[in-house]
Amino acid sequence: METRVYSNSNKYSIKDILWSSIKGYKSSFYLAKQLAKRDVKAQYRQSVLGVFWALVPVLMSAFVWILLQMSGAIQLSATAIPYPLFVLVGTTVWSIFGECLTMSITTVNANIGIITKINFEKEALITLGFLKLMFNLLIKFALIVVFMLYFQVVPTTSLLFFLPLLLITMLFFISIGILITPLGVLYGDISRLIPVILQLLMYVTPVLYMMPKEGFLKTIMSINPLTYFIIDLRNSLTGMPIEHWTFWLGTLCVTLLLSILAMIVYRVSIPIITERMSS
Amino acid sequence: MGEVLIKAEGVSKKFAKDLKKSLYYGMVDVFNNVIGRQQSKALRNQEFWAVNGISFEVKRGECLGLIGHNGAGKSTLLKMLNGLISPDEGTITMKGKIGALIELGAGFNPILTGRENIYNNAAVIGFSKDAIDANLENIIAFSELEEFIDMPVKNYSSGMKVRLGFAIAAQMEPDILIIDEVLAVGDLGFRVKCMNRINEMLKNTAVIFVSHAMSQVTTICNKAMLMEHGKNDFYGNDVGLAVEKYFIKFDTTGEQTIGDGSVKLRLFNIIENNKIVDDCFIENGDDLKVIFELETDSAIEQLKFRLGIFNIEYKLLAEIDSQTVNFKGTVVNGKIVVSAVFKGVYLKSGKYSIHLHVSDAISEKRLLRQSNVKDFMVKPTITVGADFLLASEWENQSN
Repeated sequence: METRVYSNSNKYSIKDILWSSIKGYKSSFYLAKQLAKRDVKAQYRQSVLGVFWALVPVLMSAFVWILLQMSGAIQLSATAIPYPLFVLVGTTVWSIFGECLTMSITTVNANIGIITKINFEKEALITLGFLKLMFNLLIKFALIVVFMLYFQVVPTTSLLFFLPLLLITMLFFISIGILITPLGVLYGDISRLIPVILQLLMYVTPVLYMMPKEGFLKTIMSINPLTYFIIDLRNSLTGMPIEHWTFWLGTLCVTLLLSILAMIVYRVSIPIITERMSS
Repeated sequence: MGEVLIKAEGVSKKFAKDLKKSLYYGMVDVFNNVIGRQQSKALRNQEFWAVNGISFEVKRGECLGLIGHNGAGKSTLLKMLNGLISPDEGTITMKGKIGALIELGAGFNPILTGRENIYNNAAVIGFSKDAIDANLENIIAFSELEEFIDMPVKNYSSGMKVRLGFAIAAQMEPDILIIDEVLAVGDLGFRVKCMNRINEMLKNTAVIFVSHAMSQVTTICNKAMLMEHGKNDFYGNDVGLAVEKYFIKFDTTGEQTIGDGSVKLRLFNIIENNKIVDDCFIENGDDLKVIFELETDSAIEQLKFRLGIFNIEYKLLAEIDSQTVNFKGTVVNGKIVVSAVFKGVYLKSGKYSIHLHVSDAISEKRLLRQSNVKDFMVKPTITVGADFLLASEWENQSN
């Protein structure tokens, strides 16, 4: 018979925690799928336009920049691929950063009612957030495919790397998101701060325009690691070569470390979050 | 009795009164736990022990009733038993599958139909997809909601939601069952159904039962723990005694007087063996004698009286009235002393309070209504669910 012992053990073995975390992800997959189905269904049942709303934010910001560029209100250096596609892919990838970063805080907050009442594998919430993210992504990429067909941009073999690179990117931001989750759930400030910071960062990252050849902005952009994420993700999708292999290798290592750390922090902090958020 | 399934040893839990402090301590705790630094056991500023040094064990087939006032620490203890939060001190050992009837209908989404929500809630409380598919018809049948099962849950009444929630939870086959105040909702028919299902589950499980309905505790439990301010005030197999102690804790002395001031109660006492007693304990079926003294305005000549007995839940259980025996109290010099006897108080064990009504015998005008003038206890005998345990005669008629 399964025996559980609850006590105040500050000393835990990293191996045990990791192992129970992995078991948690495995055993709670059905629950996560069920909850994701619940959320997606509920989201679209009371809506006429449905999936269109997932596209609105990306479409709007892309549209504004396309308009600015076409009207000549701002002068941008020419892009290798048609500008509308450039902007659309840029804003889509950028929105992934933000969604991954806030995913675990949002999911934990949305399910705080069951967290404080029911004992289930809380890893289910991370899977739940991930599944919902993927669902939204699929819709957005469908739009990109339409744009690519329209502008007749043909992907090359670098497209093969798109999915692995995307997964590394997502894992990287989700891990950071999980690491700040305890703070973000306890204090509302974090989830307000993230969009503000991202908004700022967007202008020093080549999301809406190419990296300049020289000048102040170029220096900042080359320091900004987000630059490399966005350039290569966009390149691999739109048939351009991947430029920064060493960056990706480094990121992969960092991401693996971060995700292990995130698993530990999440598992250790959930009971404490439960305790503080209980009503 | 089977093996010990639940064991708590010296379990304690701190809580902070202040929200800002609580959040800050939470942050500190997360950090310390992650880096594995030993925390100080002492209370920090604004903290108190919500649960303090609780120990008990429950075997298979036993049911422990957890009673205590609001804020005594019952819910916090349950959260620890359920593994939601970890104790600050002590150890809890739980053997076997845990089922909790705590939050019925957790994970329901109001927009989705009853049928869809069965899958959500069942998944949250730990069912696999196969188990849900296999039990779906049972769940719908138990909830008696066949007609409404494809309607959005937001159109359900609160009773219907609880029905559906309980019907899902009732399919569990746990070794340990934690029940927290879930039986208070729903209509009578469904409550009976729930109690029957819980009784079925009781046989093979170790149960922790939290309720403020003492009649339920005395019927279901064969063990009880009374908590006060997070501490164990009583723990043992005598459920009746625990319930009695629980009732004594209630402060029923808050008197309430309604009247025009023409009559004032000076004294009210209970008499036992010709002596005034402060704490009155009677046996079931005993007589109860009271004596009281009133002061009145000069215009009042004759009075009639009514005395009522209220239980701890403030339900009027029995009354005596001077009119039934055509008694009238005569006022002399603005003063009157009256004694009265409750003949055969066949109340079940517990704490009761006496209320006094005084009316003018001639004009029938109500002059005074005073609540909680005195309380008394009926000593425990055998456990009964009803309010009264009557005298009875039994004879063997089969020869």
